[in-house]
Amino acid sequence: MLLAATSLSKRFGGVAAVRRLDFHLDPGEILAIIGPNGAGKTTVLNLLSGVFPADEGRVVLDGVDITHLPAEDRCHLGLGRAFQVVQPFPEMTVRDNLMVGALFGSRQRSLAEARRRTDEVLALTGLAGRAAMPARDLTLAWEKRVEMARAIATSPRVLLLDEVMAGLLPHEADEMLAVVRSVRESGVAVLFIEHVMRVVRDLADRVIVMDFGEKIAEGSYTDVTANPMVIEAYLGSEEAGGA
Amino acid sequence: MRWVGPTVVVAALLVPLIPAGGYQQYVVQVATFVLINAAAALAWDIQARTGQLSLAPAAFFGLGAYAYTMAALRGVPLPVAFLLGPLVAGAVSLGLGVVTLRLHGLYFAIATLAFAEVVKVIFKELPLDLTGGAVGLTAPPLLGGHQTGLYYLGLCVLLLVVAASLAIRHSRLHYAFTAIRQGELTARVLGVPVVRTKLLAFALSAALTGMVGAYATSRLFFVIPEDTFGIGLSVTALATAIFGGVYTTAGPVLGAIILRSLEEGLRLVLREGYLAVYGVILMLVILYLPGGLVSLWNRRSRDAAGGD
Amino acid sequence: MELFLQTLANALIQSGTYALASAGLALAVGVLHIVNFAHGEFLMVGAFVAYWLSVLAGIDPIASLVPAGAVMFAASGAIYHASIRRVLLAPELNALLLTFGIGITLQNLAILVFGATPRVVHTAYQLTVVTLGPVSVGVAPLVTLVVSVTLLAGMYAVLYRTGVGKSIRAVAQNRTGAHLVGLDVDRIYLLTFGIASALAAIAGSMVLVRIGASPHMGFGFVLKAFAIIVMAGLGNLTGVLWASLVLATAEAFVRTYVPGGGGAAEAVFFLLIFFTLVWRSWRTA
Repeated sequence: MLLAATSLSKRFGGVAAVRRLDFHLDPGEILAIIGPNGAGKTTVLNLLSGVFPADEGRVVLDGVDITHLPAEDRCHLGLGRAFQVVQPFPEMTVRDNLMVGALFGSRQRSLAEARRRTDEVLALTGLAGRAAMPARDLTLAWEKRVEMARAIATSPRVLLLDEVMAGLLPHEADEMLAVVRSVRESGVAVLFIEHVMRVVRDLADRVIVMDFGEKIAEGSYTDVTANPMVIEAYLGSEEAGGA
Repeated sequence: MRWVGPTVVVAALLVPLIPAGGYQQYVVQVATFVLINAAAALAWDIQARTGQLSLAPAAFFGLGAYAYTMAALRGVPLPVAFLLGPLVAGAVSLGLGVVTLRLHGLYFAIATLAFAEVVKVIFKELPLDLTGGAVGLTAPPLLGGHQTGLYYLGLCVLLLVVAASLAIRHSRLHYAFTAIRQGELTARVLGVPVVRTKLLAFALSAALTGMVGAYATSRLFFVIPEDTFGIGLSVTALATAIFGGVYTTAGPVLGAIILRSLEEGLRLVLREGYLAVYGVILMLVILYLPGGLVSLWNRRSRDAAGGD
Repeated sequence: MELFLQTLANALIQSGTYALASAGLALAVGVLHIVNFAHGEFLMVGAFVAYWLSVLAGIDPIASLVPAGAVMFAASGAIYHASIRRVLLAPELNALLLTFGIGITLQNLAILVFGATPRVVHTAYQLTVVTLGPVSVGVAPLVTLVVSVTLLAGMYAVLYRTGVGKSIRAVAQNRTGAHLVGLDVDRIYLLTFGIASALAAIAGSMVLVRIGASPHMGFGFVLKAFAIIVMAGLGNLTGVLWASLVLATAEAFVRTYVPGGGGAAEAVFFLLIFFTLVWRSWRTA
């Protein structure tokens, strides 16, 4: 197990966003987390990457307990994160955005090494043509790509992606898919949240379904989508007048 | 643009040699104040690059000035006393920096402002034989008060600040500072050591400002709480940096050259109220040219990397 | 014991002035979400309007609160149109610096036109003192307190009981939402900024009798006003009242009981702001 979460819990005031969640991620695996809105998926990513601390539970990355480590340290240990609401550094060029990840990520690189890494990632993610553009001038699709590329530039061992396909045209989504696959090929395990089911089907080795902060199903895509509990979570039951 | 820097330095070196007849002393004096303003503005800018708007430069300027003066008056050799300026300012700033780590934007600005005012009051209330109380102390001038020598010393001080600014600009720190400024949380998630970086920026900026303060005593002749810790210096430093162009090395220097000259010019015409120029400039810049003067150049060269 | 009560009385009286001086700032910050550093200078304008009306037309300074408020209301409209509305959507740093610039300009214009020496007015009731039991209170400050409380009550009434007040609160909470339901956000901003500035000027005319008018008077007030609204919590209009009381009380007691109290009293405000801000920032960690 590369990344393991045990009994992870988080409350916001009266709301339990995440309840005693257990899951793990193996090396080289691509794991998807799906679930209706408000299920707590992004909260899980926030807990993993250290945006805020968990109320209970543990997170272990390759044998190291990172539960109480600050975000920077988790990145240094190999945890990379792309946010759902994209946050590129607006006044920096695409290249400089990636440079930040390359310079301070899991490897402390010199400027020269970071430049090489940045060029690598620019090529990998198809951003080379836009390298000199200020990030604020990008369209959403390209911003999402920068968001992901920047996380990749940190040379993570585990990459956390949050709805990177949302709002993309089919061919743009295909391009992103290809990038994620090649990232996995380079030895990175990926945990991603997604609503676009086609992507989940094509990309994920394994799927976890969340609802109301709990894991309600786990398994392959076909298993999970046939699970009546999952269907009910998404569509509502007949008694409740759902769908 | 490469030739601008060296040209300005050469021009600066030649200032005391300008034939101005009876006005020679006056020219050198004004030029010295330009150097002081430029150094203070640039020192402020270094810390502003992490996105924090500090209104405390006056406190560090004053601490540097008082540290030098108090040490010099007690017989400490002047060069050592001079070094105490940046040391004391830097040390105090680390304390302030740690305490205010969780403050941002407006709250940080007000906290630093409050800090500066408290420091001012403290120095006013301390015993007369220690710090001169509200009346202040007369500072023994460096280099025996030799005008031209002082000018060149000031130039060295400014060049030191410029060197610090450029060193940062061409190192990893530039990326760290800019990332923190444009998205602190994102920077953390990308592995930028935010706490260390912010404290470094703050302490370096404060130490440099303290050095400027220690130097300036030789130009201002005495230290007195109301003026030395007065908010006027903070306002001048930040207005100058913003006018010239924040987050650049050339901006604050350019801003100082123009603004201080404007101020001196106005001072000749209006005996009081000439500080209005800073107010008006600040307004005009914010409304019409938020990137400062330097952005006029950048528009042409289309440099989008955010900096000189 | 008498000293204690007298200090309390002083604090109460003073808090009225502080509350009046800060209410406008709280309104500007809470509704327009900009930090008006020129607030102190608006107060100064009010003081000078009252001064000149007193000197030239013999109008009692306290009665000048109306013209002072009116003048500043009008002037703020011009200022708003020329500058403030352009920075409302910019980073808050811009608004801060812009109003800083406006403040410095106004201050120095005043120095240019009026000279830096403070001007004082003399009124018949200036030195009159009213004795209530063990404490004595100056008539002028007492009237100030009454006026302050009345105006503040009026402001709260407008905000919480009128349609206009509701519109203002709506805009304060959600500018876009308010716009979408048809409120004229720009006009509301203009109105609110006007009221906030007028309140500052009125406070200025109130303090004229006690401390005179000088171009430099604004700075001290704006810092104290900031202390108060920061303590109350930015955007919290009702908090201004108790924060004024707390700070005025702290100041009064330091002034009375701490030896050499005058200087230390100045620092009280700033120490309180500093510690409040820092403490709150670590507590929400």
